Amino acid sequence: MSAALVQRVRSPRALGWTAGWVVAILLPSVLSEGQESTATFVVIGAIGAVGLGVLTGYAGQISLGHAFFLGVGAYTGAVLGANHHWNAIFWIPAAGLVAALCGLIIAPTALRLRGLYLAIVTIGVLFIGQDIFLNSSSWTGGPEGREFPIVHFSSSLDFAYGNTLNIGGYTIDHNGLYYYLGLIILAISLLFVWNLSRTRMGRAMQAVRERELAASVMGIDLARTKIAAFVVSSFFAGICGALYGSFLSFAQPGDWDLTLSIQYLAAIIIGGMGTVMGPVLGAFVVFGLADVIKTLSFVSQNGSGGISPNDFSSMVYGVLIIGFLVVEPRGLMGLGARFTSRPRRRGGGATLDPRREGRQFAPD
Amino acid sequence: MTGPALRVSGLGLRFGSVVAFEDVNFSVEPGELFAVIGPNGAGKTSLFNVLSRVYTPSAGSVRLGDRDLLALKARQLAAAGVGRTFQNLALYGDMTVLDNVLIGRHHLMRSGFMAGGLWFGRARREERVHREAAREALAFVGAESCADARPKALPYGTRKKIELARALAMEPGLLMLDEPVAGMSEAERAEITELVQRVHRERGLTMLLVEHDMGMVMQVAQRVLVLDFGRQIACDVPAVVQRDPEVIRAYLGEELQAA
Amino acid sequence: MTKFWQLAFEGFSLGCVYALIALGFTVIYRSSAVINFAQGSMLLIAAYLISWLTVNEGVPFFVSMLISIAMLAAAAVGFQAAVLRRVRRMLEQPIFTVVMITIGLSITLTAAVDAIWGPQQRLLGDPWGSSAVHAAGVVFNWDKLWAIIFVAVIVAGFYAFDRYSRYGLATRATAADEEAALAVGIPVMRIHALAWGVAGSLAVVAGLFLAGFPNSPNPALGNSALLAFPAIILGGLESPLGAVVGGIVIGLVQLLTQGYEPGWLGNNFYEVAPYVVMIIVLLIRPYGLFGARPVERL
Repeated sequence: MSAALVQRVRSPRALGWTAGWVVAILLPSVLSEGQESTATFVVIGAIGAVGLGVLTGYAGQISLGHAFFLGVGAYTGAVLGANHHWNAIFWIPAAGLVAALCGLIIAPTALRLRGLYLAIVTIGVLFIGQDIFLNSSSWTGGPEGREFPIVHFSSSLDFAYGNTLNIGGYTIDHNGLYYYLGLIILAISLLFVWNLSRTRMGRAMQAVRERELAASVMGIDLARTKIAAFVVSSFFAGICGALYGSFLSFAQPGDWDLTLSIQYLAAIIIGGMGTVMGPVLGAFVVFGLADVIKTLSFVSQNGSGGISPNDFSSMVYGVLIIGFLVVEPRGLMGLGARFTSRPRRRGGGATLDPRREGRQFAPD
Repeated sequence: MTGPALRVSGLGLRFGSVVAFEDVNFSVEPGELFAVIGPNGAGKTSLFNVLSRVYTPSAGSVRLGDRDLLALKARQLAAAGVGRTFQNLALYGDMTVLDNVLIGRHHLMRSGFMAGGLWFGRARREERVHREAAREALAFVGAESCADARPKALPYGTRKKIELARALAMEPGLLMLDEPVAGMSEAERAEITELVQRVHRERGLTMLLVEHDMGMVMQVAQRVLVLDFGRQIACDVPAVVQRDPEVIRAYLGEELQAA
Repeated sequence: MTKFWQLAFEGFSLGCVYALIALGFTVIYRSSAVINFAQGSMLLIAAYLISWLTVNEGVPFFVSMLISIAMLAAAAVGFQAAVLRRVRRMLEQPIFTVVMITIGLSITLTAAVDAIWGPQQRLLGDPWGSSAVHAAGVVFNWDKLWAIIFVAVIVAGFYAFDRYSRYGLATRATAADEEAALAVGIPVMRIHALAWGVAGSLAVVAGLFLAGFPNSPNPALGNSALLAFPAIILGGLESPLGAVVGGIVIGLVQLLTQGYEPGWLGNNFYEVAPYVVMIIVLLIRPYGLFGARPVERL
């Protein structure tokens, strides 16, 4: 076993992973402030995308209501963090838990339906949610919106503007603090999903996605599996929303809208559904793109001539969604697999597939 | 187990005014290999689907041992000891062969999404134990070298074997096989037939087989039920059924039409 | 009391428009088990197209309407044939993928409309304007009356088509099993083309009337069209009659809630009332009022 373990550690894939993480950790030191801010949005967004990846990517349940759970997380963080002055170490997980609870309550109703009906019901959840947000001014600030709490762990670990953290001569500023916090949480969430995909419930989710009735006959409880996916997805959405609100520092109820939900859907489609890293790649494209688009010459700045950034981004997302689904439904991960595939001598000619990453057992 | 493993009484299924089958009566003894045959459209797969609780029959009762099968939901079948294969092959293309077989172990495992995601204790133990069991099932059907492959890359005959491995991995008391040799070449058919016999011989399972190919069925089955246009026209040992005039007419009639 | 009847009339008319949108969904679903999320954006394009042709280019209104129907039907058929068919048949992708492509299409089209024509409201250029019939204290606007009339005619046409032509059965056969339908000689490509062409045309007519509430195309139309979703959930995806009933119920719910809004439900509750109704109905009947548990093949 140990020889195989050594082989795995030295494999190109493991090296790629390590390199990727090293780059991710060193990134803020080479980026400008604006780019750093974008990178932070990407990392935070990736957390939410990973969540949706479990629900839609693995379990195959199309949800257009992700923005609602982001909002729930954000407002939970705001109420606990700003209204009640909780420490971030508590309101961040609490945001996830409250969102997960909402998911748990909504899921059974939604999931009695076939997949397509679910998509519509989640739109309903989104709109009703926005309505609730608009009318709960004490929590959300009503239509004008509210401020969100800065992450504060202790007096030395406070993410307020102007504060910096010194680690052995390496200075981390406001954006960097959020970036690293996001990265840590993203790493934990990726680990969770990776584990999930190799165990009983993860397999059950994929079985449910591909052929529900057969899965049922084999003993899988469809409702329970789908609800589990919903709860996991909502949890990560809640945490993502809390961090997102905190980093943005201000948001209105109208911000948690269908466009936001679709951005996350675009992220997992572009990145690759049913994979662990797909949502991260997708988040990179979708949330990174938003900033790049603002700099394009034919995009209007502040309402002046040219096409509005929202419109242009939406069109790009739409075209990317269609393009990927038609050309490479497995997203960027699928494209990556195409370029790195090599024939195997054993296993009946199977090609390398990114979804096999990290399978626990060594090849025969 | 005393009494029959499966007892079907007066079972009927209709879709609106279309009768899939009606008044089907038979019982399967523990450890018996029982086959249901008939020309295409006779209602065999519908019968199977009723027994898998996919369809609800319009009449009749089914007892599984001492339980009422019709009171079970589809997802409770596995725990009740019923395993089946699918005519159209319900293998999951996105997962490895081993993972596909592990789906069969789902009802024997307990870890939920928290245990799985956090990868502690129970999940780890279960994965180890049940992967072993899954590999054993694959080894039994002779497909253990395919464990890491994707079903898409494998030949049809191998995929059928994997389906069977998955059903075996479920550790069923009653194994239902849905047209195991459909669409196969001569060589593949012989291989699967031998495998079915080996399963019966070595595992001593009660088996219910639905098949169109009379040759295969006469070779492996201990008793045979013949359906034609949804009616039961014979139920006896193969030797007797083969000589039954109505059965001959049902099959020959079909051949004459095809000619 | 006249307030009630006024709202009821307007709600019924709006409901008929939702019914048209819902019918567009139903038509496609019945032939391919796909929900076309882009239906609302097709409607949006249609409304703008008619407006542009009539107001900017001076084309007579009914001619604009016919041109729009032709163009949208052609585009819909083209999209189905070139993109969706390829994805479904050649790439063997599940319906899930096709549905998501329509979601992608929907965002692209909606954004494109906003980019091309901008966020201001426009005039539709319809000939009936704000003319109305007055009776019993209720104002019966002609545009709303026409909506009801059109829907009645179209639904009657559907019923006749389903009943008396072979295409009704052929459509359902295609949705159930396309391979088998092909084997039996059903002209599957024509069925799909017909379904999408009809859906595109329905989108145009619906867009025409929806823009009349309040009588001008604007980008929010896409969102208004989303209200057809509760209609199809209520009615079940398969039944044209369900689509009509569902649509009318939603229209009535929306306008009656708007008119009689109780303050404690907050502002603008009427915008989400249809969704609330939808969820309540689903709690009781998971497949809608008219839907049936789909039979899946093993």
